[in-house]
Amino acid sequence: MFQRISTYLYLRPRLSLALLLLPPLVWFLVVYIGSLLSMLVNSFFYLDGFTGQVVRQFTLDTYAKLFIPTNVQILSRTLFMALAVTLGCIVLAFPLSYYMARIASPRMKTFLYLAVTLPLWSSYVVRVYSWKLILAQEGIISWFARLLHLDGVLNWYLSSPLLGGPSLGISLTGVFLVFVYIWLPYMILPIQTALERVPKSLIEASSDLGASPAQTFRNVILPLAFPGVVAGSIFTFSLTLGDFIVPSLFGNSSFFIGKAVLTYQGTSGNIPLAAAFTMGPIVIMIVYLLIARRLGAFDAL
Amino acid sequence: MSDQAAVEFQNVSRVFSMQHGSEAGAVKAVDNISLQIRDGEFFSLLGPSGSGKTTCLRMIAGFDRPTSGRILLGGKDVSDLPPYERDVNTVFQDYALFPHLTVGDNIAYGLMIKKTPKAERRKRVDEMLELVQLAGFADRKPAQLSGGQRQRVALARALINHPKVLLLDEPLGALDLKLRQQMQVELKAIQQRVGITFIFVTHDQEEALTMSDRIAVFSQGKIEQVGAPAEIYEHPATAFVAGFVGVSNLVSGEVAKRITGSEAMFSVRPEKIHLGATGGEDMFTANGKVRDVIYLGLYTRYLVELDGGGDLVVVEQNLKTTSMDVVKIKGQPVILSWKKEHIRKVGG
Amino acid sequence: MKLTLKMFHLIAALIVVSMILSACGAAATEAPATEAPATEAAGNEGAVGIVAWPGYIERGANDPAYDWVTAFEAETGCKVTVKDAATSDEMVQLMNSGEYDLVTASGDSSLRLVYGGSVQEIDVTKIPSYGTVDERLQNAPWHTVDKNGDGTPEHYGVPYQFGLNVLMYNTTVFPEPPTSWAVVFEPMDLPDGKPNKDRVQGYVGPIYIADAAVYLKAHKPELGITDPYELTEEQFQAALDLLKTQRTIAPKYWGDYLLQIEDFKNEGFAAAPSWPLQVNLLQADGQPIASVIPDEGATGWADTTMMSSKAPHPKCAYLWLEHSLDPKVQGDVAAWFGSNPSVPAGCTASELLTADGCKLNGFNDFDKIYFWKTPIAACGNGESNCVTYDRWTEEFTAIVGQ
Repeated sequence: MFQRISTYLYLRPRLSLALLLLPPLVWFLVVYIGSLLSMLVNSFFYLDGFTGQVVRQFTLDTYAKLFIPTNVQILSRTLFMALAVTLGCIVLAFPLSYYMARIASPRMKTFLYLAVTLPLWSSYVVRVYSWKLILAQEGIISWFARLLHLDGVLNWYLSSPLLGGPSLGISLTGVFLVFVYIWLPYMILPIQTALERVPKSLIEASSDLGASPAQTFRNVILPLAFPGVVAGSIFTFSLTLGDFIVPSLFGNSSFFIGKAVLTYQGTSGNIPLAAAFTMGPIVIMIVYLLIARRLGAFDAL
Repeated sequence: MSDQAAVEFQNVSRVFSMQHGSEAGAVKAVDNISLQIRDGEFFSLLGPSGSGKTTCLRMIAGFDRPTSGRILLGGKDVSDLPPYERDVNTVFQDYALFPHLTVGDNIAYGLMIKKTPKAERRKRVDEMLELVQLAGFADRKPAQLSGGQRQRVALARALINHPKVLLLDEPLGALDLKLRQQMQVELKAIQQRVGITFIFVTHDQEEALTMSDRIAVFSQGKIEQVGAPAEIYEHPATAFVAGFVGVSNLVSGEVAKRITGSEAMFSVRPEKIHLGATGGEDMFTANGKVRDVIYLGLYTRYLVELDGGGDLVVVEQNLKTTSMDVVKIKGQPVILSWKKEHIRKVGG
Repeated sequence: MKLTLKMFHLIAALIVVSMILSACGAAATEAPATEAPATEAAGNEGAVGIVAWPGYIERGANDPAYDWVTAFEAETGCKVTVKDAATSDEMVQLMNSGEYDLVTASGDSSLRLVYGGSVQEIDVTKIPSYGTVDERLQNAPWHTVDKNGDGTPEHYGVPYQFGLNVLMYNTTVFPEPPTSWAVVFEPMDLPDGKPNKDRVQGYVGPIYIADAAVYLKAHKPELGITDPYELTEEQFQAALDLLKTQRTIAPKYWGDYLLQIEDFKNEGFAAAPSWPLQVNLLQADGQPIASVIPDEGATGWADTTMMSSKAPHPKCAYLWLEHSLDPKVQGDVAAWFGSNPSVPAGCTASELLTADGCKLNGFNDFDKIYFWKTPIAACGNGESNCVTYDRWTEEFTAIVGQ
């Protein structure tokens, strides 16, 4: 029966193609596009405060609510955090990726590759929780600070108004550190792949044409690794934009987009406002991708 | 031409230590080579892959350093200088054009590094594009060019810096036959115009013979022979050179003794041998049977099995014969003859 | 090329076969559902589906001692299916599906369910034990509603459990229990001589505005707050002002009970609103932690088992409602969940709860509890000028989310 179906399909390549594409297409259309559209539609409805019911009538009022100071602040806080996390990840990931791609021996490279991806195998929540113990007032970092008599420095830092707090765990700095930690692999792997794809001869050619290693890095390696940096930053940026777990475990309970969506949709049933909030990261990502394209990040695709 | 050598190798060796898997050991890629390349000459390093010619080129460029010995550029020891401090430029086998830069920016790269003013850069890029016949291509990206065009850009990018020596690492290898032949002529013409020393690495003996002023034939990390193309072709110093450069018939032992009266090995080029007896004191003759005939249009290649053993390849132009005629010869006994002066005694 | 093309068709064939197989499989699994219930003789449907908070309906899977399902199934023949729901919103959605019979609705969703038509009126005469329910809960407004407007309120559920939000504190900081929520609302020095700034927490949820209102009700009688969930604009603003003050001393608002435990262990917190559950767990861990119900009273929650208006198994559902009021069941649930039984007899009927379990969980403080309910425009006084829940959310976000 198998053979006969095979033969039947062999003679009808279009049918084969349709059958192969059907499951992913259905998945894509229903789950991805469908839910996005439903969200878009919902964001144009509004919640009637008196009945607590969603009124299915077109309005822009819900979007107008995005621009009240509270929500603007939540959106911009999330945006700046996402940018800072992305920059932090780039700064940490680039040297390591460079070492992995161009310098490390094959054995070292395998080891590092495992070391980078290993955390991804374990639960996200467990890893984030463990940072509670590192950043807490009675945690590992303050213990080390006391041990090295640097607690004065730590306290001085924590007394700064914006980034500080009673402890690292209850400060924006803590949120930043944990975000950088959990998203770092998503930055390392694309940069490393991009660097690996730069042929050795290009670096030799640059050197041959008189460029010092620093000049070669700036003029050849960096521009060619740029698509990898953009790919990685798309991960770190969008993951930070949507995450609600890290800001609810760390920091001073200030809302980020994810937490705001959860609060509006989950506890108050205000699905339209939650949907409108979610359109925020989507619009931000679209703008981000357009900028990345303008910078030539996708030329190599 | 100055009497100062453009490039000089003094007892240069390069040993690679191998650490792959369980096999540990050392490979001598270049084995105690001494060589002088004159200023302004077109010099080819010819040899099969793994013979050490590319390693030599990379050591001149500075990508590789000799394990022992010295390399001199214009009389100055550069063994410890990084590539960017050497006055040589390279045309890479894969061209190594920067994919993110335009053709113009690729060519201007060396000038940009040297902080040459923009206006002058543009002028010199245009000159270079003119030289390699790519005027008007400055704003394209390398990906938009054909193989031959990329090759010219790579050449222009190297030449714009007016290096003392231009290194070319099998630059024509990726081109098709017709383009390759055209580029051979152009390369030679450009070299004569700019007057720079060209060091050309190739495994294609025909390419080396066509373009070079002199050739060094490499085998297993050593130089077998250095000389002008005609000298290499007509007077191969070793059996390796005789076999690698052109097609050579090598005859030795009992069969050699029958023909020349001596067991010493000699070589004779296929095109020097005639099918059929041609009398005369100055001729050698040999008997055999035609085993195979390959008609190639312009000429025909015969494989003749000699009486007493061994094969000889004979090439004859089809001046009067047709394909029908030559095929009939297959399986027939023949007499071969060639001028005594056309044999070369070869050592080892 | 030939190989890949062949593989391509093989994969396509595989998909076809698997689709056929899965279609067959689906048909096969559905088949038993059409069988006649084995317990037809007993006169019920043989099954009941319940949407519940995690931990509310235990069949001994987590701890064999905590099982109030197996015996019910054996006795009635009604097979119990439990669907855990994590939020009130999820509960409302699950009940709208009409697949389930019962839901353990909290105060912030019960009225939504009633007015949304998702749940049906309960005939309490069919529940013999209804009279054993604590009198104060029997006609509670979150399940007893005059929906049809005939002047006589109808019952829409059976009380299940209730609990309250206590003031948890560190005993090394407070040698004597604090008597007022002021320690978490107003900047002050704590008994250990250090300021309370950065050492107190609030709860992260719009409903926490009601806790501020409870405090104001006692300390600012001129505002005239009677019910912390029914706030006029003026009262609401006063509660927000108090929260703004609190925000300057509370670096963090807790949402996850496990995280609050971590915070009290490692971040040096001295006082915060909490649940008995955290207090028990921290004490079990040897931490210097205790709890108190301050003089102002406290917010709390009372959950009600409600029946879907489309309940597919009403007979079994009624049987479960009766079973849920069994004193031992009530006591066991309270022990497992850290809550209080709705049936006073439950306090003594369960070995698991222990003798003073009810006292620890706040059973005796019933009068001090303001039960959670969804703030709506209709105030208790017949007016409809109260601030609605969507504004609670927005304003809470504006203060705490900053």
